[in-house]
Amino acid sequence: MAEYAISNKMGGTQQALASSFKTLLYIFATSGSLKRGKLGEFNIGTNSAPADNFVEYDISRMTADGTATSITPNPVDSADGAAVTTAKANATAEPTVTSNSDLWYDALNQRASYRWVARPGKELIWPATANNGLVIRAKSASYSGTVAASASFSE
Amino acid sequence: MRNPGGYAVVTDGDSVREADTFTCAHCNSIVIVKAGQKAEDVGGFCRMCMDLICPRCADGPCVPFEKKLEAQEAAYHARRSYGH
Repeated sequence: MAEYAISNKMGGTQQALASSFKTLLYIFATSGSLKRGKLGEFNIGTNSAPADNFVEYDISRMTADGTATSITPNPVDSADGAAVTTAKANATAEPTVTSNSDLWYDALNQRASYRWVARPGKELIWPATANNGLVIRAKSASYSGTVAASASFSE
Repeated sequence: MRNPGGYAVVTDGDSVREADTFTCAHCNSIVIVKAGQKAEDVGGFCRMCMDLICPRCADGPCVPFEKKLEAQEAAYHARRSYGH
């Protein structure tokens, strides 16, 4: 399996957080190039002036595309070809997210950054069905700056 | 719990907090494991599929996540074959 890296710096404009979830990054299988994918690592953290606020983060499952900027996943091994999984960043209209499908949820101080690495073979998997994938989202009732997110996945 | 396998690190302004994690074998969610915690305190160990599961899946039947993926993909391909 080839591994790819993505971040929400790779396209579009990072969106200011609000009290409802904003999708930072999402990846999904698309009709015509259906393939399972595995999210093996992610990193998140705010990138505005430090202050004490809380930010809630979430990784959930999605079933329909939203409006966001397409980004091209970078192969970790440059000998690998282009990814067939669709990756998008900085949604301006949210993708359709399955309610209560969170695979990870945490609330962190704005000053904190978070990194998660999967045990090999225990990655977060999305099925090879059209428009099914994972979203990385954030929201805050008090922080209205932006959030940086990056991830690596294999397919 | 020995060797949960996953790893998370929170870097705050003046501290670093590390934690082991595992991925639920039934729903694929991430579970944080505190030091010294037993499997039954963070969900459980399914003796059907012999893997760790999260609290949400602890009282449910054994349906490994791989089986759920296969069912979802089969349903998708069936719908496609019907023209949907």
